Amino acid sequence: MSENFAVRPALETDLDSIMKLEHSSFSTDAWSMSNMHLELTAHHTFYLVAESAGRLVGYAGLSKLQGSLQADIQTIAVANDFRGLGLGRKLMKMLIVEARRLGATELFLEVRADNPVAQGLYASLGFEQIDLRKNYYRPDGIDALVMRLNLGFSDAELSRPEPLVLGIETSCDETGIGIVRGSTLLANVISSSMLEHVRFGGVVPEVAARAHLEALKPTLAKALAEAKITMDEIDAIAVANGPGLAGALMVGVGAAKALAVALDKPIYAVNHLVGHVGVDILERGELETPTIALLVSGGHTSLLLVRNLLDDVELLGETIDDAAGEAFDKVARLLGLAYPGGPEIDRVAAVGDPKAIRFPRGLMLPKDMEKNRYNFSFSGLKTAVARWVEAAVDRGDEVSIPDVAASFREAVVDVLVSKAVAACLDHGVPRLLLGGGVIANARLRQVAEERCAANGIELRIPALSLCTDNGAMIAALGAQLVMAGRLPSALSFGADSTLPVTSVQTLF
Amino acid sequence: MTGWTLAIDTSAGTSIALLQAGKLVASCEVANNMKHAETIGVAIAQVLAEAQIRPSAVGKVVVGRGPAPYTGLRVGLAAGIMFSEAVAVPALGVVSLDAIAMDALRALAVSGQTVSQDKPLLVTADARRSEVYWALYSGLSKFGAPVCFVGPAVSKPADLAAELESRGIEPHLTDLPLTAASLGLVAEAHLLAGVDDSDLSPLYLRAPDATMPKANQIFGKRVSS
Repeated sequence: MSENFAVRPALETDLDSIMKLEHSSFSTDAWSMSNMHLELTAHHTFYLVAESAGRLVGYAGLSKLQGSLQADIQTIAVANDFRGLGLGRKLMKMLIVEARRLGATELFLEVRADNPVAQGLYASLGFEQIDLRKNYYRPDGIDALVMRLNLGFSDAELSRPEPLVLGIETSCDETGIGIVRGSTLLANVISSSMLEHVRFGGVVPEVAARAHLEALKPTLAKALAEAKITMDEIDAIAVANGPGLAGALMVGVGAAKALAVALDKPIYAVNHLVGHVGVDILERGELETPTIALLVSGGHTSLLLVRNLLDDVELLGETIDDAAGEAFDKVARLLGLAYPGGPEIDRVAAVGDPKAIRFPRGLMLPKDMEKNRYNFSFSGLKTAVARWVEAAVDRGDEVSIPDVAASFREAVVDVLVSKAVAACLDHGVPRLLLGGGVIANARLRQVAEERCAANGIELRIPALSLCTDNGAMIAALGAQLVMAGRLPSALSFGADSTLPVTSVQTLF
Repeated sequence: MTGWTLAIDTSAGTSIALLQAGKLVASCEVANNMKHAETIGVAIAQVLAEAQIRPSAVGKVVVGRGPAPYTGLRVGLAAGIMFSEAVAVPALGVVSLDAIAMDALRALAVSGQTVSQDKPLLVTADARRSEVYWALYSGLSKFGAPVCFVGPAVSKPADLAAELESRGIEPHLTDLPLTAASLGLVAEAHLLAGVDDSDLSPLYLRAPDATMPKANQIFGKRVSS
């Protein structure tokens, strides 16, 4: 539903309109005008109003005393005809973010025991009931539920040694659990279901999801042993909630939420692709920005401009059809090579001539470079390879599989590196970071090194165990959010198979 | 065994319960048979808050193994396994249909109806794709656990009807909903009876949807005419 309301901080001049709504919302226990005036003008309060077509349709307020770690939701009201449109949720979310910004670590509220709709809203935002006050609302004699939201770490806690964060990754066919202390890698355990997909010639989502569930317990145990820590030392949980295969992601999300609740620790839902970028922190202690990132795997081919890891990630382009890794798999199958295709094509291409056949470069023509400058297309290339092979066979020519593999690989690598380097030059960004499983391809690394050197671009290639999908990168990104004092995610977030890279953390 | 039992079932909706000494103390029922991943964390936190206990007070976790169609089922199993690991207590797996059977068999007993292998209880659950999961129960064991003698299985409704007819059975039926509270009680009864519930594997009862690629002719399927 489209939002036909706008929210802004309240002004003293809103008092009359607020009181009108106050009386219609709280018939028996409305605040007095003088009390409301004090609320709006006090230094320790923060009030928001929502307007639609010049009419005040909602307000909500927060109180946070200086020096206190606790904040309170003072009141919230939404006009009758604007209920059910998400306005109450929006006001609450803005107050939660503000409470965190003001340095609160806990946010409290009271809600009438006879208002299940409001209770449901607060619960979905992560509030938990901690107390019941009998006969709180007079004159009706209705009980009040006291609810609390954990807003994460205090400044004092943040100044302690770096946080210990456990990260869970289940977006495709690797179950990854990683543990980091701040920017230091302690454990990176990966259980892959790759072999189970071999007979299908590609990742089968249901097979991958089943394998994640089986791998959870042993992978967790290995990660804890590798990091030499016990569960109760963990400060926060991070989990990739997208993009990826929905059913696979949900296993990780369910697992991570239960860990967070059982350990009573905050949870951070983070973006899988941004995790691939953040992993560089584990090798260099920090991520130098701005940087261009080229992420290439069986599921993704994305070019990102990262100005700030936590706040400013822009998708410059992505594949409009097959991912690069998928193209390797499909061409490998065409050539009678095994799955996964990347390593197989790399192997046979080693003795082939990359210039033997000039396969097309997708979206590289001048007109494409205007409209699809940073987008990729590998579907046409795959078909071109098939046609070339069929024509040769029809003619009765002997087909050199090494030459076909080398020429195909050259076309893929050429496009990937050309577009990444163009992105660096266009944006004046002297850095390129590679990530994703296809980075294992030797020729891709070699060409990237040559062309980056020729253009004065610094190239970063993380260790292969950090390039493929892994939990350490998720933990690393989570730790960055913790150390930046960010609000944890509410427990109600879901898995999002098409989560955009601009959403680094899913808060709600 | 002392302590609290946390019971989790996501074979249909999301059902969470906290029991102490066989008594239900707090529960959360979300009927929506989607959204398990969204719901699970809030629901577990909510029952803990309602019972006013710390997670570490939980002495065992009981999880429904289905049968259920895939995705949602795994969310509850993943959560149950990880919760039990986090607080270092056993996780027990129970066939979800058993929870419904326990409630239905108790109700039949109260109303004085006999249940046996000749006049059993049939429990069914939606398996989607026009199929049902089902199991037949002959009654409650002396420890109070439902005794399943056929199933759980998945069938077309017509095939199930034929199966019952061939056995000459007209079973008791039930439309009671599944609750995690009853799932927890089944696990309690199993513990008393010494039944091993350590298997946490999900009961999908169907192979993954995936077709094998055609036999690899050397150059695969033609793209040119």
